[in-house]
Amino acid sequence: MAKDRVEAGRGRRADVVKKSKSKSNTPFYVALAVIAVVGIGALAYFASRPKNVAKTVDPAAVVAGEPQGYLLGKPDAPVQVIEFADFECPACGQFATLAEPDIRKRLIEPGTISYRFYDYPLAMHKNTWQASNAAACADEQGKFWEMHDQLFNQQDRWNGQATSRPKSRFQEYAQAIGLDVDKWEACYDAQKYQPRIKANEQMAIKRGASQTPTFVIGNQMVGGAISFDRFKALVDSALVLAKSAPPAPNTSADTAKSTAVPAKGPGGQ
Amino acid sequence: MIIGMLAFIGVFVSTYLTLYKFGYIGSLQCAVGSCETVNTSRWATFFGLPVAAWGLGFYVSALALVVVGIQERYADSRALSLALVALTGWGVLFSGWLTYLELFVIDAICIWCVTSAVIVLVMFAVSVAEYRETGDGRRETGSG
Repeated sequence: MAKDRVEAGRGRRADVVKKSKSKSNTPFYVALAVIAVVGIGALAYFASRPKNVAKTVDPAAVVAGEPQGYLLGKPDAPVQVIEFADFECPACGQFATLAEPDIRKRLIEPGTISYRFYDYPLAMHKNTWQASNAAACADEQGKFWEMHDQLFNQQDRWNGQATSRPKSRFQEYAQAIGLDVDKWEACYDAQKYQPRIKANEQMAIKRGASQTPTFVIGNQMVGGAISFDRFKALVDSALVLAKSAPPAPNTSADTAKSTAVPAKGPGGQ
Repeated sequence: MIIGMLAFIGVFVSTYLTLYKFGYIGSLQCAVGSCETVNTSRWATFFGLPVAAWGLGFYVSALALVVVGIQERYADSRALSLALVALTGWGVLFSGWLTYLELFVIDAICIWCVTSAVIVLVMFAVSVAEYRETGDGRRETGSG
């Protein structure tokens, strides 16, 4: 008897639960639909607002132009070196501040290597596109490398963790390196060189650069903040190859296209 | 179902902050507090991902649990209710830690983060109530 009552109760309970669940699902889905409409509308509104305070770039929306590296040294040096780097990446900063001064003094200035920097802005770094933009605009006035040094030396002052408005910091650097700041600012705001940055990024991807920084030294590709000694060892082996092989095709001083490297690295195309 | 609706609202709040973090939103709408100070601080990233992206994952998981839970075949699943309690409980702890950081470490409050913390807290309270209700129902019917 008692068992019957329990069974009956159980059956009734299940019925009630099932009915209430199936009955009340529709309003729930309607409520979700309303939230979806309001939410998507709000997001679309926020995303479409002018970004005049923190100028951000939608990398996906940029149409790539021609890749163009920034040259340091003699373009016809026996060993051609390419660096793919992200201005906001800490390893690139480490390389630029620790190994690069020696590389410039001991390999670039004597004419052993030519060095080309290509932007490889990574999506995870919030201010890196603006930094590449700042450097490209400095290049317009012939001071890419000065801006490059400022950006890497003071990376922790303008990176995505330090600020969401890096422009004022870049402006300080533009002034410090003696740029025509108004001209630089007009270029920066117009984001004139986004197609070039995008093209440089695409070139890095095409060449198989899987991390930043990545270097193509002669026919070797190597990633990471390598030491001067390691860099020099790779240059030395490239020199041996260069001496035993016919001279590499000369590359234009102002535009270093992806064909500029005489031999492809192991990870290259 | 209240939990589901709150989770869906949370999805949009966390999506907004995630989009900001990835640079797709210029500046945060922040009538109260200092949203950008909080969201550009070093605490805004957790295990290499923006905290907001973790929040998005949390809300989507909670919403998925609710949607599964309202299907007829899972209508009397106590395990789902328990999973929701555990998930939202974890959410409360995580939000509590973030709110502590805002108040005492970063010294800035982000209204969107506070909104999210409140949503998580209410979700947890409702999920505990629903879990207890499920238990009562079972005891009433005499089954375990």
